[in-house]
Amino acid sequence: MSNAHSHGDGSEHPAAPMVEEITDFEVLEIAVRELAIEHGLFTADDHRRFTEWAESIGPAAGSRLVAKAWTDPAFKARVLEDAVAACKEIGIDWAEPTGFGTPSDYMNLRVLEDTPTLHHVIVCTLCSCYPRPLLGMSPEWYRTTNYRRRLVRWPRQVLAEFGLILPPEVEVRVEDSNQKCRFMVLPMRPAGTENWTEEQLAEIVTRDCMIGVALPRPGRTADIHPVQKARRPVKRTSHPPETAHERKK
Amino acid sequence: MNAKSDAATERIALLEALRNDQKTWNVLAPRYGVTNPNPPWKTSLIAMCDCLAASGALPVLERRQAEDELSNSIYSNVPAPERQLLALVHIMLKRGLVTESELVSRISAVRARLESA
Repeated sequence: MSNAHSHGDGSEHPAAPMVEEITDFEVLEIAVRELAIEHGLFTADDHRRFTEWAESIGPAAGSRLVAKAWTDPAFKARVLEDAVAACKEIGIDWAEPTGFGTPSDYMNLRVLEDTPTLHHVIVCTLCSCYPRPLLGMSPEWYRTTNYRRRLVRWPRQVLAEFGLILPPEVEVRVEDSNQKCRFMVLPMRPAGTENWTEEQLAEIVTRDCMIGVALPRPGRTADIHPVQKARRPVKRTSHPPETAHERKK
Repeated sequence: MNAKSDAATERIALLEALRNDQKTWNVLAPRYGVTNPNPPWKTSLIAMCDCLAASGALPVLERRQAEDELSNSIYSNVPAPERQLLALVHIMLKRGLVTESELVSRISAVRARLESA
């Protein structure tokens, strides 16, 4: 196979690298899907629809929503009042792809506004509920029992592992997603962004900022985790007691 | 039925044979210089989970609980998303949504098809 990739205009460049072998995992995914369709567990058309939807979602939608809320007070008020309806204004319809959402994305979203004295962070202690229409697929660490169990017990320690150390006067409120409601954090607009456009602002509103494990700031446009989180919970004795209001709400 | 102990302790021969530490995406991608963090089948896997939940064949919460148990036991050393795939198939086999024998046959057929090109 040639390593070159030609275009209609005659230009040519090396083809993007690809994994050039068929793995058992790839074969397994196809095999079980085909059997499920043959058994009538779902249809091929349903699968195509959900796949296309999954390919279409990502955190950019949430970033746009936050940036618009920062620059448009009336829109922010609507976001806090009825977030699902406000999402439609930026082209996000929670009813997709079925007309009544997906089985994992209940059409009930609450956006949690941070203030100078209150910081929100979201989790799903039960499984991995996540506002997928706005943020896309959840990161793998969000799904781990490590994050889910420890955040509600020791939120400041877990946030510190993400590089986010909050002053003691800022209350940390952990909001637990559940089968009926999804949450997303509306962080505070950082200093130094005056006169920025919505597009500029959206660039610094990363996925982690909307989960609540990071804060937006000029120049920070990607989620990079500085600390490798422990695989196992640390013994209780190593944690300073946290006040009741800082535990899971 | 003790679903937790069944799901968390009983290994499935077929899946044990398929898991291969050297063929997971986190190993293969850098070996081939690929920067995409996810294998091409991941979105299809997610869609399959959604479809199974939408049809009622495998509700979200039941799948996630079983996936958690398996991720902390049998498949604890398998990286994502391969772990998620193995867990889903494990759950489907345990629930009889597909059988091991038909899956073995289909895997052979799919591999032959993919390698024929």
